[in-house]
Amino acid sequence: MAEPTPAAPPLLVADALEKVYGSGDAATHALRGVTFEFAEGEFASIIGQSGSGKSTLLNLLGLLDTPSGGHVRYRGTDTGSLGKPERAALRNSLIGFVFQFHYLLPEFSVFENVAMPALISGALPAEDIRGRAVETLGLLGLEGLEEKNANALSGGQKQRVAIARALMNRPALLLADEPTGNLDTANTDLVYDLFREVSKETGTAFLIVTHDRSVAQRTDRVLEVRDGELVADERNRYLG
Amino acid sequence: MLSLRIAARFLRSSPAQSALIMAGIAVGIATQVFVGSLIVSLQAGLVDQTIGSAPQVTISAAEEGDPVTFTEAIRELIAAEPRVEPGAVAAVRDASALYSDGEDSAPLSLKGGELGGLDAIYDLSGRTVAGTPRLGDGDIVLGVDFAEKYGLVPGDAVPLTFAGNRTARPTLTAVVDLGAAAANERQAFVSAGLPRSLTGWRADEFSAIEIQMRDPFSSAEVAAEWRTAIRSVTVTEWQAANADLLTALQSQSASSYMIQAFVLVAVALGIASTLAISAVQKTRQIGILKAMGLSDARAGRIFLWQALLLGSGGTLGGLALGFALIWSFSFVPLDFAIRPEPGFIALSAAVGIGVALGSSIIPTRSTSRLDPIEVIQSG
Ligand SMILES: Nc1ncnc2c1ncn2[C@@H]1O[C@H](COP(=O)(O)OP(=O)(O)O)[C@@H](O)[C@H]1O
Ligand SMILES: [Mg+2]
Repeated sequence: MAEPTPAAPPLLVADALEKVYGSGDAATHALRGVTFEFAEGEFASIIGQSGSGKSTLLNLLGLLDTPSGGHVRYRGTDTGSLGKPERAALRNSLIGFVFQFHYLLPEFSVFENVAMPALISGALPAEDIRGRAVETLGLLGLEGLEEKNANALSGGQKQRVAIARALMNRPALLLADEPTGNLDTANTDLVYDLFREVSKETGTAFLIVTHDRSVAQRTDRVLEVRDGELVADERNRYLG
Repeated sequence: MLSLRIAARFLRSSPAQSALIMAGIAVGIATQVFVGSLIVSLQAGLVDQTIGSAPQVTISAAEEGDPVTFTEAIRELIAAEPRVEPGAVAAVRDASALYSDGEDSAPLSLKGGELGGLDAIYDLSGRTVAGTPRLGDGDIVLGVDFAEKYGLVPGDAVPLTFAGNRTARPTLTAVVDLGAAAANERQAFVSAGLPRSLTGWRADEFSAIEIQMRDPFSSAEVAAEWRTAIRSVTVTEWQAANADLLTALQSQSASSYMIQAFVLVAVALGIASTLAISAVQKTRQIGILKAMGLSDARAGRIFLWQALLLGSGGTLGGLALGFALIWSFSFVPLDFAIRPEPGFIALSAAVGIGVALGSSIIPTRSTSRLDPIEVIQSG
């Protein structure tokens, strides 16, 4: 992957993001003035206690929700000025999601689930979709499971299929919201090792939400959210 | 086509639900096809029984009892009218006669004319139960009840007495079943010459000119046109004389439309509720597809396709079932045959699919409006 030229805008900019749920007395101010930049290929985590606003922030960055104030910019484009179909197209091509729940489609096979983002975009010919899906499943150690029904897999396998699906369109950014929240320690370690490996191999940037500080310590950069505010933004120096 | 693919998969993932709603549509469409064809055939049968073997338009003299002159103008008018059944034109002379075999006597209504035209209108050959109809001079064709009552068989002489004590002894050539007791007891057909010998009318003078139409219901229009074309005659047609029958046919049609409308409403409600349930069941899947970038329009189309698949599957099944019903009724002895009505069947199919599409409006809208964040946040 080519290094972005110094003049190129960063992959992602969060600019003074505000989010208020509800109105009047029932209003919850979930995010307050969150601002940071995120470069292509970064491997970072967002940490904070439950209810601090991590998911809210991730949903805004993933264009699943719209901020009450501030801007989300991708490679210099302000997403606030985009219509719904354009935001959907951007989600499809630029962003991959992994959630705490795998959200696989039980009606479809493993292959079809993984291929779905490419089927939605329609940019790849059918043969290439097959090849790309098999390759992605291989990346996650799931080769041979293509024709199984998504429901027939174990919890750890399902989450890995969900990760394969998120990587199918080779997004510039993978957003993960407590992706191992439903997994045991062995599977949790496996998933983070895979994230690191995929990041190296594909150049995809990762932004992983967790409330587990030991997990966060394994990423290059840790963003800390408390009561809706970004209170820390630190680089880990362990790679020396 | 991704929307279609997802729609088909959603339907296949709940086969019992899909099969049930398709069966519901099929029963509805089969009812449409069967009831519609039944009513149309029943009415055609009734009309055919009533006036299928009788003149539908009659041209007679302006004064009752006077002869009408079969002019070249009238001949050309009839010949130029494409709505007239070819060949089904008969210039007839009527006469009354008394049959007596020495002991008993009975009145007979004679209709004198050419065999060709009378056969085309009254279907004498088709209704023959004995002999072969011929209507030369000295021939007579009798109704079956009359012939049986007096023990007459083809070849027998039929002694007749007319007003003024004139007599004739025509030979019975055929016995016909005219389909109604009154006609079978009294009606007889003879050559046009026999009545003429009684009245002394000219060769172009007749009691009436009787005509059948290709479509019996065109009689009113044709009669009206002829009335303006030839002013010196009386033109009558069967519909004016059978207003009661026509009213009965119309109210029968109206009640069948009612049945069909309610069946369609039931089908529509069935599809609509199934799709609405399906849309709720698939909320999670739709949400995640949208999170992956599926546009609102394509998400909505999933349910449009589901409706189209259910509607066309159910409609095809319904057509098959409807034909099977019609076919099975061919073994039931009825005095009319149920024929499938192609136009009506095409309409039923179009309505079935249209109703299915209409019922998908609500789930299609709710699906295209669904915000993926609702699904993601609820876990
Ligand atoms: N849809 C919503 N409506 C109202 N309040 C919400 C909604 N989503 C989140 N919140 C509130 O916003 C705050 C941040 O929530 P969230 O972003 O889910 O935190 P985290 O992911 O860090 O646990 C919490 O107080 C939560 O109750
Ligand atoms: Mg959360």
